[in-house]
Amino acid sequence: MTNIQWIYALLLVPLIISLLCFASRGLRGASRQATTLLHLTGIILTCLLSLMVVSSVITSGTLLAMHQWIYIDSLGALFIAIIGIIGLLTGLYSMGYMGHEVDHGEVTVPTLCNYYGFFHLFLFTMLVAVTANNIIMMWVAIEATTLSSAFLVGLYGQRSSLEAAWKYIIICTVGVAFGLYGTVLVYANAASVLSDPGSAIFWTVLHDNAELLDPTLMHLAFAFVLIGFGTKSGLFPMHAWLPDAHSEAPSPTSAMLSAVLLNCAMLIVIRYYIIVSKAIGPAFPQTLMLVFGLLSVAVAALFIIVQRDMKRLLAYSSVENMGLIALAMGIGGPLGILAALLHTINHSLAKTLLFCCSGNVLLKYGTRDMDAVKGIMKVAPVTAILFAGGALALGGMPPFNVFISEFMLVTAGIQSGKIAVIIITLLLLTIVLAGLVRMVAGTVLGPGPEAVAKGELGSLTTLPIAVLMVLMLVMGLHIPQPVLQLLYNATSIVLDNGGAPLSDYLTLPWQSVQSAVTHGQ
Amino acid sequence: MTGTLIVNNLAGLLIISSLLVIGARQPKNSALFYALQSLILVLIFIALAYTMHAEELFLWSGTAFVTKVLLVPYIMYKALGKLQDTNADTPVIGMGLLILIAAIIIVLSYLVVDSVKLPMVEDLKPALSVSLSHFFLGLLCIVSQRNILKQIFGYCLMENGAHLTLALMAYKAPELVEIGVATDAIFAVIIMSVMARKIYRTLKTLDVRQLTALKG
Repeated sequence: MTNIQWIYALLLVPLIISLLCFASRGLRGASRQATTLLHLTGIILTCLLSLMVVSSVITSGTLLAMHQWIYIDSLGALFIAIIGIIGLLTGLYSMGYMGHEVDHGEVTVPTLCNYYGFFHLFLFTMLVAVTANNIIMMWVAIEATTLSSAFLVGLYGQRSSLEAAWKYIIICTVGVAFGLYGTVLVYANAASVLSDPGSAIFWTVLHDNAELLDPTLMHLAFAFVLIGFGTKSGLFPMHAWLPDAHSEAPSPTSAMLSAVLLNCAMLIVIRYYIIVSKAIGPAFPQTLMLVFGLLSVAVAALFIIVQRDMKRLLAYSSVENMGLIALAMGIGGPLGILAALLHTINHSLAKTLLFCCSGNVLLKYGTRDMDAVKGIMKVAPVTAILFAGGALALGGMPPFNVFISEFMLVTAGIQSGKIAVIIITLLLLTIVLAGLVRMVAGTVLGPGPEAVAKGELGSLTTLPIAVLMVLMLVMGLHIPQPVLQLLYNATSIVLDNGGAPLSDYLTLPWQSVQSAVTHGQ
Repeated sequence: MTGTLIVNNLAGLLIISSLLVIGARQPKNSALFYALQSLILVLIFIALAYTMHAEELFLWSGTAFVTKVLLVPYIMYKALGKLQDTNADTPVIGMGLLILIAAIIIVLSYLVVDSVKLPMVEDLKPALSVSLSHFFLGLLCIVSQRNILKQIFGYCLMENGAHLTLALMAYKAPELVEIGVATDAIFAVIIMSVMARKIYRTLKTLDVRQLTALKG
């Protein structure tokens, strides 16, 4: 198969599996086994195909397919890798989590078929969003992610989950409508100045001709795009749907929403950031990203410290981390952009781990209230250790991965002279760490409750979390060479430096220390 | 010149029809007014197609007729017939205030559009400003109504506004894009209607004020 055929396979597999999962409702007695088997096949194939496509990008460079409608560069490949790997791990976890829910009568078998159907449809829409070169297709795909995941959010059909699903769908569709406006402004502008108006719809063409675009319209368009797709990526003040949706959804869905969906919307913002920076200079998009990013971190930190609901705390932490990514993009420069992209991966791993752990706690204790959950260590020690380790990692403690990207962000900020911003950010990060430590200390330690049965739930609900923990340690101690290569290439794309290898002029914080030591000797 | 005059006048009619959609007490009537509005939108597409010699827009008007004039109002009419909650029919703000806010939106949109320098929309600025204000009228519908079904219509109005902007500024876009946008909108309406029915079945209300369990 050629590289292009791998892409088609990657897009078709989740779509076909989704339809088959929906259809397996009709098998009556065998539908549970059939849908679970389909789901397992689907997540494994999607992960393998995504890694195939990513490795093709690393070895042979950018891929263009379907009459330019599909475009995968290193930047897109990074997000495809996240969708594939997190999709596999949350998919495996889903089997344990949803299996438990079906066994205990919380979820019926037809709902399970729908769950897996929407799960794969959701993967499909996100893959379309990150591989689209057609800017209106990008919008359609992001809108479709809302539609495909709304049922996952409202799956339990209770008062609160239906309310969350309604808020999710209304706020996001309205938000993303702003994104459409921004998209139309960019397209119309390009169509009127390009010699071939028909090709103005492609991101690559817009990128090559960015200098021709009208400055006023580009200012307006970026504001619309940031509000529109920023709503979907959970930036303040458009984040209102996020704590509700992420806390009410089944835990594996929360993990997918936080760790994958928010990133997909952020990628679209980054795509426009590249074009607009080329058209009118980076100052305007960077300032907007910096302001929205810092505000998101600040507001989320204050909510995290007072939260009593475990999953809401994690949801606000997603607002905080998306804020950090936007902040790093706003700081800019090679190190800032690299920090933003690395943080995207790191946050995805950490947040998936924590949402899955919170799922285990929820299944054990039947509540997310941190005042009621005590002594996880006594009840389920493996979950407790993973949960505590994950929370500290998310708070930015070494030797885990989040520390590295946050450290890079701080260094980038100091290098660019934004000292006040960095001091405020560090203070806010301290508040966030305090909130996470409070959660761990309150729930993991203490006496184990009598009413809760001791023991882990099963291998399917602990193994994927353990794998995540290993991945986080690996990313914290020694980032694998292919990942680093992909990150460098993606950073070069955002910086738009004409393809100059980033390693030539980028000094990582610890490398500068190393060279200082060497010179000192 | 006559063509653009027709487009601009029809765009003016769009504003009246959207006020009817927002102002109608019963969501069922909103569905009928929405069908009327979509018909006006289709006529605008046809008039634009003649004026701009844009063959693509004929196809657009065909898909818009099927989806917006027939399908969406039918889905909504059928879905809404079974859902009744008179408590939710009273809007948050009265008709007088609604018209006043609408007028402010229209004036502001006109001022914003006035600074756009693209030659291709020079004669169509009134229609372009209508499309922008239409988008914000949809938003107004979402925030000014208590009935969650009316919020779906708010989304439909926003979508019509964006669709008109697309037609005015980007009519050369590939047909597949337009079909993609229209299909997305239909799915959005279907999913929102199903969700509204679930909410009505579980919570016995359509009143958005009752959906306040989640805070903080």
